[in-house]
Amino acid sequence: MGAQRKSGLDLGLAISGWIYLLLGFIFLMLPIVTLIAFSFEEARFPTLPWTGWTLRWYQDLLTDGRLLQALGRSLIVSPMAAAAATAIGFLAAYALNRFDFRGKNLLSALFIVPILVPPLILGVAFLGLLSRLNLQGQLLSVFLTHIVILMPTAIALVGLRLAQMPKDLEEAAWNLGANEWQALHRVILPWAMPGIAGAWLLAFTFSFDEFIIAWFVSGFEPTLPVSIYTFLGANLNPSLNAIGTIVFSISVLLLIGVELLLLPLVLKPASTP
Amino acid sequence: MVSKQLSLSTAPAPVRRLPQETSFLKYLCLAPAVIYDSVFFLLPLIFLVWIGFWSVENYRAVPGFSLANYLDIFSQFFERSRYAFAIAQSLWVAFSTTALGIFLCYPFAMALVFLVPERLQRLLLVLSITPFWTSYILRLYAWQTILNNNGLLNRLLMQLNWTKAPLQIMFTQWGTRLGLLHYLAPIIILILYLVLRNTDRTLLGAARNLGATQWQTFWRVILPLSKSGIVYSAIFGLIITLGDVLSGTILGGGTGQSILGKFPLFSSMILNEYSASTNLPRTSALATLLIGIMIVILAAGFKLARSER
Repeated sequence: MGAQRKSGLDLGLAISGWIYLLLGFIFLMLPIVTLIAFSFEEARFPTLPWTGWTLRWYQDLLTDGRLLQALGRSLIVSPMAAAAATAIGFLAAYALNRFDFRGKNLLSALFIVPILVPPLILGVAFLGLLSRLNLQGQLLSVFLTHIVILMPTAIALVGLRLAQMPKDLEEAAWNLGANEWQALHRVILPWAMPGIAGAWLLAFTFSFDEFIIAWFVSGFEPTLPVSIYTFLGANLNPSLNAIGTIVFSISVLLLIGVELLLLPLVLKPASTP
Repeated sequence: MVSKQLSLSTAPAPVRRLPQETSFLKYLCLAPAVIYDSVFFLLPLIFLVWIGFWSVENYRAVPGFSLANYLDIFSQFFERSRYAFAIAQSLWVAFSTTALGIFLCYPFAMALVFLVPERLQRLLLVLSITPFWTSYILRLYAWQTILNNNGLLNRLLMQLNWTKAPLQIMFTQWGTRLGLLHYLAPIIILILYLVLRNTDRTLLGAARNLGATQWQTFWRVILPLSKSGIVYSAIFGLIITLGDVLSGTILGGGTGQSILGKFPLFSSMILNEYSASTNLPRTSALATLLIGIMIVILAAGFKLARSER
């Protein structure tokens, strides 16, 4: 009944809403577009108008080699840390989902807390411990420490998937004669797989982009973000645009993976409006 | 627990072999995570607090118990290093950025939920969290290219004759805020989107039918229902902005100008002190101080959130 008098206002709101969305997307995308565009721009100092196309900055990457080496290190350590964190996280999420026991809340809190502590503090803390154990300053240090910050999201995401599992599924497996281990391996693991894959992807991106812990512990084997940081000091260096474009391409591939695996997990099937 | 379907079936009921609740598997599954978090999370944090009381002799950290680090830090609170000013700067930038982030992202998330047709929503949500999947440090570098004195933005503004002198955003705390906002926006948008999407649409229809204006519907129904999302966004925003060093260094220029003055962020200070001195005991004491500040803020935040409920 009151719908008519509001329709004028509705249209105005809708238009301003769409304009706001557009402005928001421009803000969000601007640095990414700049990065990609200027990795192909001829002039050393990014200017408008456009002066010409070049692949020189990509060649620079190859001849200098340091950034590519760092990229290589990151591509070794991040998938492995993500895999280890997801494996440990899966087991923990399974136990939390299936069993009830005293101190369960406390344990869940312990598993979540690492993402609530700023990486800056963790970086100093890790360095203190690792330098006592003589484990600092290598790629292994990054691997060991990244697992800690990757576990919370892995446990949460796999837990989310396991919570959607019908309880009878595992019991049916037991009733059909599977022992606990077989049920875990043959029934639970396949069910959890989309969650595990999504969790691994998220963990990989976290690790791949993590700067400050790696800065403290990686020493003479810097990961990509740490290496980029040392390059930033000097002055504008278009090779950074080039490596950025390469990294972004990797991310887009991952994003497609996330779109396929992760979002269906977080977003429940669309409720009717 | 017992599935009734099985007992109804014609086949002889199989012997049920439900594993005991005190299963060995429970410990086997929990052990890796518990051990890992104990050794590589709790232990380093305890160690951190302890190392804060060590001292340095001949460039080596020497175990012991001395308050020298803390006494020295507190004696420099208002002079020389002026930690108090850096802490104030950090708090000011963190709170203003987080508030700004929620204020700017809320309408965005609302438009996404209530305006965008269902089949487009997924795509636009993925697009709006794209920055989160690209390298943070390289995004800051790109902002540098955009915001420099002769960067893209200033060239554009000057060619359009909108400003005569270049806008000084880089090397001020506005630069820091911009970089942090770009980092926070996807996270806040995602949190608010998930919360707003779960609002019961029938409540909105009811409010409208009862004669509420759009503004009243927003203020009395939508906003209160999304409070949890705002609280989560604020917690994540504060933790991230208080702990970040990159935006303050790369866009804020280390000691960026704000209305408080030209002071560095406390987080950048910790990083720079360590890279200059590699004095781990002293850096650990500074980091312990930061833990204390964050615990106070989070405790106050949780208390506020609970009392409002």
